[in-house]
Amino acid sequence: MRERDPIQLPVAGLLAVIAVAAWFGAGYFGQELLAEIAILAIFAMSLDLLVGVAGMVSLGHAGFLALGAYATAGATVFWGWPPAAALAFSVAVAGACALGVGLFAVRLGGVFFIMITLAIGQMFYAYFFKARAFGGDNGMSGTPRFDLSPLGLETGDPAVFSALMLVIAGAVYVALLLLVRSPFGMMLTAIHQNENRLASLGCPVRRYKLAAFGLGGAIAGLAGALMAQHTGFVSPDLAFWTLSGEALIIVILGGSGSLVGAAGGAAVFVMLRDHLSDGSFWEGLRLSGDIATHWQLVMGLFFIAVVLLARDGLYGRLSWLVDRVRSAWRGRGGGA
Amino acid sequence: MSEVVFRAEGLRKSFGSLRVTDEVSLRLPAGRRHGLIGPNGAGKTTLFDLITGEVEADAGEVFLGGRSLNRAPPDARARAGLARSFQRNNLFPGLTVHENLALACALKHGIGHVFWRRLERFTALWQEAEENAGRLGLADHLGQRVSTLAYGTQRQLEIGLALVQEPLLLLLDEPTAGMSPEETSGILELLSSLPESLTLLIIEHDMDVIFGLAERITVLDYGRVLLEGTPGEVRGSDEVRRRYLGAAH
Repeated sequence: MRERDPIQLPVAGLLAVIAVAAWFGAGYFGQELLAEIAILAIFAMSLDLLVGVAGMVSLGHAGFLALGAYATAGATVFWGWPPAAALAFSVAVAGACALGVGLFAVRLGGVFFIMITLAIGQMFYAYFFKARAFGGDNGMSGTPRFDLSPLGLETGDPAVFSALMLVIAGAVYVALLLLVRSPFGMMLTAIHQNENRLASLGCPVRRYKLAAFGLGGAIAGLAGALMAQHTGFVSPDLAFWTLSGEALIIVILGGSGSLVGAAGGAAVFVMLRDHLSDGSFWEGLRLSGDIATHWQLVMGLFFIAVVLLARDGLYGRLSWLVDRVRSAWRGRGGGA
Repeated sequence: MSEVVFRAEGLRKSFGSLRVTDEVSLRLPAGRRHGLIGPNGAGKTTLFDLITGEVEADAGEVFLGGRSLNRAPPDARARAGLARSFQRNNLFPGLTVHENLALACALKHGIGHVFWRRLERFTALWQEAEENAGRLGLADHLGQRVSTLAYGTQRQLEIGLALVQEPLLLLLDEPTAGMSPEETSGILELLSSLPESLTLLIIEHDMDVIFGLAERITVLDYGRVLLEGTPGEVRGSDEVRRRYLGAAH
């Protein structure tokens, strides 16, 4: 047990160092990117709990993100709630809805689970698209950020806000890691591997899956609430299935089931998108800046390469490499 | 005779027009070693599936320790004291032997839902898993991933997971299938070391194993009970010889 996943904490530490360094080095725009990465990392980790740990591939996860975002927007703008209370409300709403959806969804497996989560995510999209109160397809703006003025902090300052997002992402990571390493987390891992055998050993598999689905939805709701605060704006696109797909890509790119991989994947994804869509990046490589308009094509090629060459994602390859080096080291030292 | 631990009454199951289990009844007193034999397709594994709830019976009822299990799903039946090993290895391939056993221990002790404490910290649990590994002859493989184990070793773990549950009734589906003679004798030794109070129902094609182990044997044929008797009676039956043993030997 002690040898399981030996690089998890070193990689997390490395990411934390990079994040802190980036925070000190970043200008206005960089802080915006950092905040976006942190929020996307929370969302991706919540999906990794479902996909990578418990083996439930959801294509409707963005639905819960959108619920969280709209709950925060509604509670702050319509009811005048403070953002912190609205955030708690978002988590509760998204978690409760995920439990409700999960009651039906966890009965299904494989492709049927993918289809029902996709359909339900799209139902959220359709609802927000039509909901007049929330501005319909135009969305609504005006969500305020946390008020930390009693602490002398101004969250309107991108550096303060991004630091706060990084701290929250770190806390979510630690909480999820503890969960994954608890008996309950071990059961989820076992469900991924062989749910029928686990049931025959006495595990009420459906209840465990439901709990994971509810928790994943609640954390996605948290990410949504933070996203609404970050941009000050919510729109139906938050619930659209392509955002669920993006999160899935991030999880697979980072290394599914590794948590820290999902966080790293979010960083790689945002940085790549930012660079590839920037003409001067291509000109710096002595290529035509026009390629930037086709950045999605380049990104697609990159993902194809990752899936072909590193089926277990960046984290999985790194694990493999460390394992190789270690056993070579041991072979040289111990053998004779 | 000691009290009846397990009772199946009039179990019936059809897949389409094919009746795979036909009015099968079975009573097992505590501590009984009971064999289940029959030609391929006689419905032995299906009978196990009906008992554990993996397949729903069309009719009939199953009792364990006097309680009806009829509406209970497989996990609830397991918690009530049913354990089963499978005909084909059915393990957690990405986990180590130690983790496989610890999982079963955690479920037995009802701590699978604990999310606020790291599994690593349940030292008694790991200890128990290790002791079980020793008993099963798996001590040398503790830290090995199951997918890297030899078939015979996986087979030991397959039976071991069911044993860890310390059930009232243990169902073993061809425990020695595909094993070498040495491995088979290892399993036999293990089975004979089980506590006397444990009730065992075992499907086996190896007649030496079954005649050596079982006190009584039920012979199934086309989903029906052809005969139930002592190994001597089964061996002496002309009908069993004609339908099954004769064909096999």
